Parts: sequence; C-alpha cells; structure tokens
Amino acid sequence: METTGLFKSSMRFFSDQELCYADILTPQEVLARIQVAVLNFLRILSSSTPAISNLPLIDRSSSNSRVNQGILTDESWIFLSHSFCTRSLMRANAAKAFVRVWKLMEMCSQILLQEKRVTQRELFYKLFCDSPAYFPTQLHVNRTIQDVVALLRCSRFSLGVMASSRGLVAGRLLLQEPEQETVDCAACGTSGYAISGDLDLLQKLTLKTDARYVIVIEKHAIFQRLAEDRVFNHIPSILITAKGYPDMATRYFLHRISKTFPHLPIFGLVDWNPAGLAILCTFKYGSIGMGLEAYRYACNVKWLGMRGDDVQLIPQESLVSLKPRDLQIAKSLMSSEILQENYREELTLMVEGGQKAELEALYHNGFDYLEKYLVKKIIQFNYI
Amino acid sequence: MEFASLQDLCLLLISLAIRRCICSERLCRLSVLLQRSPASDPPLVRISISDTGLGSCIEEFQNLKCPVEGILAETWNGIVYVRTTNICDKEISCYELNLKENVTTRKPILLPSNIKHGVKFSGTEVCLSVSESVDVLLEEFNCFFQKILVLKVPNIAMEVMADGQDVPGSRNDAVFLEKFSPSSSFAASTLDHLKLGLESYVLRHGSSLACDSCFPNRDNLRSGGGMVCEDKHKTTKLVVEAAVVTSEIPNPTNNCFGAGCSDTKVLCFKDFAPCSISEALLKALTGIDWKRYGLALECAIDQRSHALLKWEHMPLSFHIHIVVHCYDKLVFEAMPLLQKTRFDKKLIRKAVKLALDDFKNKHAGVLLSADTLKVLACSRRNQEQLPKLASIFHLQISKFAPDLAKSIAGLVLYSSDMDFKEECLAILGLQPHQSEGEIVGENIKKKIISAIEVNDRRQQGTREVAPLLFEGRHELQYVDDECDEDGFDPMDL
Repeated sequence: METTGLFKSSMRFFSDQELCYADILTPQEVLARIQVAVLNFLRILSSSTPAISNLPLIDRSSSNSRVNQGILTDESWIFLSHSFCTRSLMRANAAKAFVRVWKLMEMCSQILLQEKRVTQRELFYKLFCDSPAYFPTQLHVNRTIQDVVALLRCSRFSLGVMASSRGLVAGRLLLQEPEQETVDCAACGTSGYAISGDLDLLQKLTLKTDARYVIVIEKHAIFQRLAEDRVFNHIPSILITAKGYPDMATRYFLHRISKTFPHLPIFGLVDWNPAGLAILCTFKYGSIGMGLEAYRYACNVKWLGMRGDDVQLIPQESLVSLKPRDLQIAKSLMSSEILQENYREELTLMVEGGQKAELEALYHNGFDYLEKYLVKKIIQFNYI
Repeated sequence: MEFASLQDLCLLLISLAIRRCICSERLCRLSVLLQRSPASDPPLVRISISDTGLGSCIEEFQNLKCPVEGILAETWNGIVYVRTTNICDKEISCYELNLKENVTTRKPILLPSNIKHGVKFSGTEVCLSVSESVDVLLEEFNCFFQKILVLKVPNIAMEVMADGQDVPGSRNDAVFLEKFSPSSSFAASTLDHLKLGLESYVLRHGSSLACDSCFPNRDNLRSGGGMVCEDKHKTTKLVVEAAVVTSEIPNPTNNCFGAGCSDTKVLCFKDFAPCSISEALLKALTGIDWKRYGLALECAIDQRSHALLKWEHMPLSFHIHIVVHCYDKLVFEAMPLLQKTRFDKKLIRKAVKLALDDFKNKHAGVLLSADTLKVLACSRRNQEQLPKLASIFHLQISKFAPDLAKSIAGLVLYSSDMDFKEECLAILGLQPHQSEGEIVGENIKKKIISAIEVNDRRQQGTREVAPLLFEGRHELQYVDDECDEDGFDPMDL
C-alpha cells in the first residue's frame, strides 16, 4: 500500500472516535436527562451571577459531517462529529427558537409520563394549539425536535415521537409481530404491508424469507406496478418503498432486513434525476439532518437503475430538462465527500446532459418491459 | 365660552355636536358641509354642522361669546341658524341666534318649525354663512379631525364635505371620513379608546395610512393608560384620562419623526376637542418623577397645539407619545351644558403617573429605573450606538420571559418525581407548599427578567458569555432561527 493509502485507512479506523450519536433510551432515561437540564438551568438562573444558560446543540450542517468508510465491509455512512452550535435567549433573532426548545421538552416530558407515543403531525397540532406564535408550521416542530435530539443526545423515538409510517413492503417475506398472526407480504395485494412508525414494534418483528434480492423503489406508482404484476414471484424478491424521501421507519426496516439476511443484495430503483440519486444515497449513507441517528441505518444499496446507459432505452420525447431545483440537489450531492466515484460520473452525465427521465418512460416498450429490464440488469450484474 | 376666530367657533360647534352624539349612546353621524355660493356678493360659504345625537337645548349656544370687534367683523354677521329635535319631539325646532349680541341680553328668535310627520329621529344642524376661503376652512377641519381620531370616539361616523357649486351638479366627495371600527363598542371605556386612538395616531403620524417604513408592524408599539375622576356637581364629575404609547423605530436616522429627534409631543384634549396647552398642564408634566420610569426631563415647552417634552439621553430610536384628556362626565342623564372644565394640575399629574405605572406593569423590563439609565448614559458618552441597542434588546428579549418561565414551571410541576420537584423549589427559594403553577412561574419569570436586566446593564464589551446548560462542551458559534430562513431542504446530503 502507498503511504497515503495506509494513512487513509488508519484514519478510517479512528474515525469512530469522532462519532457523535444519539442514544436510544428508555422513557425514564430521557426524563432523567430533561430533569438534569431543568436543574442546571434553574441553578444557573438562581446563582449569585444569574444568567440564562445557552443551549449547546450538535451542529447539523455539512461542515460537521464526516464520512465513515467501512474497512471490512462495503458499508459507508455519514455521521456528525463533536462540533457544536449554541442557541441563546440573548440574541433577538434566536430567542424564539430558544424558547421553542423548552416548550418542546415540556410537551415531550408530558407525553413520556403518559407513556404515549405521538407522530410529528400530532405533535404539531398539540403545539400549534398551545403556542401558535412559536409553532406556526410543521417545519418549526420538526426542526425543534432535531434541536432537542441534538441537545439531549437521545433519539427522536426515545422522546416519544414516532416516525411517520409511509413505507410499504411487498413480496417474499413473512412477518410476525409477537403473539400475532404471521403476515405474508406476497398476499397483501398491490398496496403491500404498511411499515409501522413504531420502531420498537419493528424491532420485535420476526422475519422469514426465501427471496434472493431486495429491491428498494423510489416511487409508489412503480412499487404498485411491480406488486400487481407479482414480479416478486418471478424474481424472488422483497419490494420496499418509502414513497419518496425515506423516512426513519423505512430505513430502519430495511436495515433490519439487511442485518437479518446479510446475503441478500439490495438494489435501488430510482428515477434518472438528482433527486432520485439523493434518495438512493439517503438509504445508503444516512442523512445530515438526522445525522445523530441515521448513521445506524445505512445499508449497502446498489444502484440498479435508471442509470446513464438506460437512457437509450427510452424515447427521446420522455426526456425533460433539469430544473434549477434539480441542479441545486446535484450540486449538493457533488460537494458531498461520501459520493463514490462511479456515482459521481453518473451524476456528471446527468448534469451535462441537462435532462432527466422517469422510470415510467420504460413503459413505452410495453407494460411488462419493466420486469424484463430488472431481470436483465440483475442477471448481468449491471449495478453499481 | 369665548372663541377668538371663525375657525375656533366652528371647532367649538363641532365639539358640542360630538358631546351630543356621545350622550345619545347610539350610532351617530356627524357631518360638516361647506357649500360655496359664488353667485352672492361677496361670495359666501355656508357652513353646516349637523349631527344625529341628542337634540340640543338652545342654552348650549347662549353662552358662546364672540369677540366684540376685530377679525370677525368683515367675514361673518354673527348669525347662526339652529335646527334641532329630540326623538320624542313632534317637530323640528328652528332658531336664529346672533352671537355678536351681548350674552346677557341676547335672545334666540324662534322660527317656524318643521313637522316630523311621525318619523322618529333626533339631531341638530347649525348653519352659518361666512366669507372665508373653503380651502382654509377645510384645512382647519382636517387638522381638527385628525386629532379627534386620537380620542377614537366610539361609533360616530364623521365626514367633511365640500360642495363645489361652480359647476352645477358637481360634488366633491368626502375629504375626510372616519370609519366605524366594528370592534369598538360602548362597553369599552373611553380610556381604552384613547389608548387605541393614540396608537393609531402614532402609526399614521399625520397621514391617513399607517407608515410602513417607521412601523413595519404594530408589535413595536406598547401602551398604558390611567384615569382619575373627581365629583364636581351633583350631575357631573371631572374625568382626566392619560395614555402613554412607546415606539421603536427600526431606522432611527431616516424616519418621519425627524432624524435625531426623540422629543415627546403631549397632545391635550378638553371635552372631546383639542385644546391649547395650559399652564396647569405644563406644571403637571414637570412635576412628575420621571426618574422612576428611567426618563430624565430636560424641559417642557408650550407649543400651542401641544406640549413638547425634551429628554436627556433618550435613545434615538425610542419614542414616547402622551395624550391627556379632561372632560365632564354626566353622572345622571342630563343635558350636558357646556361647563367650564378647569384643568386641575394635581389630577393631570396623577392620571399621567397612573398611565406610566400601568405601562410599566404591562411591559416588564421597559422604562427601567434611573440607575440603569445612568449606566446607559455613561456608556453613551463612550459609544454612541450602545444605549440604543440596549433598549431595543430589552424590548425584544424580555417579551419571551413569560412563555419561557411557564414552560420551565410546567417541566417542574408536571413531573411525577417528588425529589426532583423539591430540589427545583429549593433552588428557586420556594417552600414545598408553594408549588402552585402561578407562584413558581412568577418566580422564574422574575429571575429571567432580572438576568436579562443584569445582562443589559453590562457594557457590551464586558458582557460575559452565559454558561452552557451542559458542562464539558465547548461553545463554538451562535445560531439564529433557521425556521425564518428560506427553504427546508430534505435533500440535505
């Protein structure tokens, strides 16, 4: 190995020390952390030099993101390191955000004491009715939840906030909740089995499969088409979709499958556009926004399609120009340290061509073409 | 009741009309109509002031005293025509009165009345014909009504119209119209209306629309009010109301108040009409202990239409506006005769003080005591910018104190852990039995405001960085509220 190569791999080995993560805690443990926060605040407020303590939060920006590249495995992931940013009441532009953190902690502590779990949407309605001036939109709630995660260093789920249940699974998979009936995901019809937002429940599922592949699909419409055609019987597989940008529960579920059945390769089926690639990368590496938790659920997803050389399979008319938003996403992806070389090449091809295409364009060749396309790609090991 | 000029007379007649409308306690209209009749020689303007309030008793006009000689000689013959009726009257009574006659000897001439034919209404119209420029009169009336808006007299629609008869059939539309505000009602006190009226006046500062550059939103205004009253006669009592409004101007160097000017105009009203400044008012204003409110008065100047208060060391972006209104309030239902409302120096001082105290109670952290001001004044000699920032800072931060305190009190009291609760109460200096939400919340709120004030008092260069909530973590950079920025990007890779 070259000196630089050795250096690089040693650094990888030590990168785990930089890792900053959110613990998965029991409700009692979270409440204990909240109590410590309150006691500290009151002590400093009532001291001989009274002050309103600042809130130290893990910085969730790309400047604090790091990449861990697996040495013994092919898995790489993004994580956040120990760089902090501070929320202070004493800054007029930040005072409201400061108060929001405390209001959310108050709400979460009530939820945990009542031994309940709520979705982010339910939490928004509660907070909006209680303090509309502080939480006028869902975005305010979501961001403040991440602040509390970053402050208390506990996972969102530990705070009593359930992930949304957007994901679906269909195919050759048997699921069983403890003391419940077994669910056969091949018999669930075109809508598949809804992946619960309750991570505890997902963790307790017993999984059995005879599939040979896992296919992660970006769009619901494609998932439905493949489920309806029972593609998972022709190619023994499990189909999963998050219906767009992957939520935590779907990522967690996929991760469980990959850990339970490590021999199953995971393929990603996304549109030929920067957003599609970004979705693939989120499944693959995790995200910065939820960087304290997402790193755990990174999976080795391989990019099956659509890719650059598939564009010849679709009619010219189905190609659409890239919009400014697409270019923004592409830029963000390009600047990410984690993007591997061959993905970078594909992305460059996309941007330089200035056009994008959806998977549905393949139907031009017939409605059963998609299945043929998948089979061909898998057999030819045509994935990266 | 003496009036020195035609304009004074008209304004007096208008205020009589306002009082009649207020006494009626129902929706009323007040119209001032100016009609040109150029055909006559010399060209005359007919001024008609009409209202739909209580009917007038002619005695109202009996006491109006016209100056014997002088200005009015040429422009007006002294005659006013009064038509008035009460709800239950069957007729509209009409009178002619010569105000140039001696008060003691003058008698109204009864003119033929108009039958109402069973229709129930009440109101009064006073007319006089003068040789005066319509434009001059219009300007006076506009100015008057702009000021009257401060009183925000409830439920009176006011309009001024000038009728151009140069071209037959033409009519100039209302040059001034005061809208009803549906939210104001008779249930709200005149003091509440006074506060709202002053706020609106400040927002508009003279024009008809709120000024966006000085006041991007109404949040920058804060108000307080106070009232005292004293029994005068069996039927009336003297009421003095005062309102205080403070404003923060985002751009102190370029605004409608004049760059570098933080003087206060004190508006004065008597019996629902603007009045000139009296000696009693000036003495009352100078006699207030402004230091209690963090203000240092340099001098009070009579500027006829208002009093001007000049301050020492006032931050350029901070303005205080004050209004004082003295009037007779009817205790029993009786026709309001125009009594001579005197300005009582003590009552005025007390009313303004109550307004300032009310303000200070409602807006914690503003109008700090003199000690803090001294510190600010001291640092101002070194850095011009500093006190301005300090007072904006105070206004902006301390308003979050109640909500923050409520949340933290909630966290303490909602817990099921007794040890934790007791420990929190002990830190706050409270006893276990003082665990009610309000007590704990108030305690925390006071401490938060105190911490803000302590922070505020320090000079900026020596302000210590606040400690972090959790130990052992190094502080790096401050973050602003990202939710206010554009674009949440889920693709945050």
